Amino acid sequence: MSLAGYEFEVQRDDGLATEEMTLNMGPQHPSTHGVLRFVVKADGEIMRTALPDIGYLHRSIEKISEKVGYHGFMPYTDRVDYVSAMQCNQGWAMVCERAAGIEVPRRGEFCRIIACELGRIASHLLSVGTMVMDIGGMTPFTHAIREREKVNNLLEDLCGARLTFNYMRIGGVAWDLPPGYAEQVTAFLDRFEPFIAEYNDLISYNKIYVERLANVAAVSKEEAINYNLVGPNLRGCGFQYDVRRDEPYSIYPELDFDVPVGTGEVGTLGDCFDRYMVRIKELKESCKIVRQCLDMIPDGPVLARVAKKLKPPVGDAHVRVEASRGDMGWYVVSDGSEFPYRTKIRTGSFSAMSIVDKLSRGIMIADLIALIASLDVVAPEVDR
Amino acid sequence: MVSSIGRYLKHAKDAVATIFEGLSVTMSHFVRKPYTIQYPDRTAVRVQDTLPLRYRGILEVDLEICTGCLACERACPIDCIVIDAPKDKATRAMLLSRFDIDIAKCMYCGLCSEVCPTGSIHHTTEFEGADYSLESMIRRFVKDPVLAYKAKKGEETDPLIAPVLDRGMEFLAEWAEPVDMKKYKKEQEEAAP
Repeated sequence: MSLAGYEFEVQRDDGLATEEMTLNMGPQHPSTHGVLRFVVKADGEIMRTALPDIGYLHRSIEKISEKVGYHGFMPYTDRVDYVSAMQCNQGWAMVCERAAGIEVPRRGEFCRIIACELGRIASHLLSVGTMVMDIGGMTPFTHAIREREKVNNLLEDLCGARLTFNYMRIGGVAWDLPPGYAEQVTAFLDRFEPFIAEYNDLISYNKIYVERLANVAAVSKEEAINYNLVGPNLRGCGFQYDVRRDEPYSIYPELDFDVPVGTGEVGTLGDCFDRYMVRIKELKESCKIVRQCLDMIPDGPVLARVAKKLKPPVGDAHVRVEASRGDMGWYVVSDGSEFPYRTKIRTGSFSAMSIVDKLSRGIMIADLIALIASLDVVAPEVDR
Repeated sequence: MVSSIGRYLKHAKDAVATIFEGLSVTMSHFVRKPYTIQYPDRTAVRVQDTLPLRYRGILEVDLEICTGCLACERACPIDCIVIDAPKDKATRAMLLSRFDIDIAKCMYCGLCSEVCPTGSIHHTTEFEGADYSLESMIRRFVKDPVLAYKAKKGEETDPLIAPVLDRGMEFLAEWAEPVDMKKYKKEQEEAAP
């Protein structure tokens, strides 16, 4: 049997020929978080390879941008990664601003960062919640989702939607913070920060849970860089790289926050548990950033006036934003008309798919679930 | 041999201990207030009434104050709004003969209500849109052709239209006001010293 160039032969001592089992995991599988398929070649319970088959959720989002113009594309960016839509909004807004040379009011930048970090909290909560559920623990998921609902309520007050926000505009944000929003968010953060410790008590250091994740699918620093892992997956290997800190944009240089990395506290450095723990730690950092923003936010306008038919000068622009799933690249080419000539979105989940095959060799089928969950792959972001 | 048994027992002890640690969190929820609500029939207030004014639910059009400017139709990225506004040749007034919104297509992005000059097209807090056919999801707001609204100088005097216009302005006030950055910076510099 051969599959995409991989030849496998199982040798048995008694000379009988056996065949490997080819299994389909997905496209409809609860642990793949969307429509994603893995072709698994297994020898009993041990996997030889797991090849991701992507493209089930391809919606030609990049092509759509060439038809709807710069302003009209903003709601579509929500759909690039619907779990953390705020950062996608910000990426598109920033790349258009860079292409057209638009300045954003200072209060607008603060509104953006507050919304983005709340979105990151919501995204990481879903990630750590579903990770436990994929492995078999039902209760912690409901705890994480309960907190996520509170974040969603806050975002709903801010922009009127719970998932596909369409909050940002080229030149700022569409809504100012509603009255009393700072108190509301502070009240939430006061209750949320103890929750992180409670969640760790509940599941993170549970012996059974730790045993399922420790030493599973460890990635070394070099491997992670070679396979182009980004975001929490890269930081889980102990490599301290964060676009917010190392290639700062917006108002991040003025803010004080740490970049948590994996420490290998229960097993090998860069295993599933480290990637999980980085996300838990990032929850705290996001809380810190939101608090600072609420303290520092100035008065003033939030939206700059931009032409209805935006026509950036001929040329191209590229920005990188730190989305919940890592470094997200936005590239736009303008030919001087009101429609982009070409848009390219580079996402963290897509590059994370390339390492699945490498890591899946020789581990159990059940560990593949843990691996995919720990990479925090969201299918629409893979395909776009 | 002894060490492996010891390790096994230690693992078992750790597993039991951490399970009870987790259970203590679960137990504490017996005395906490429940967070769930019994949607849809056992909520104290209708869920729709608890939502903020900026909530982006199903679109609605107040035809009384629609100016027929077609800004919403142009702003919509998926063309779910269709407006026919021909000019009456005799009176030279604009008639609204068709205003359809396909709410099955609509993605509730809010770009149309953002550009509306009078707040005529706006999102409601209504979100329960289930229906039996796609055809019935097209909301047709024009029954008989009506004259488009013409903005007057000064206050609106018509007692029927004034409250609708006030409500429209309330929706508009939620949106951020764009500023000219060059002008704004100049003002800031002048105010600074």
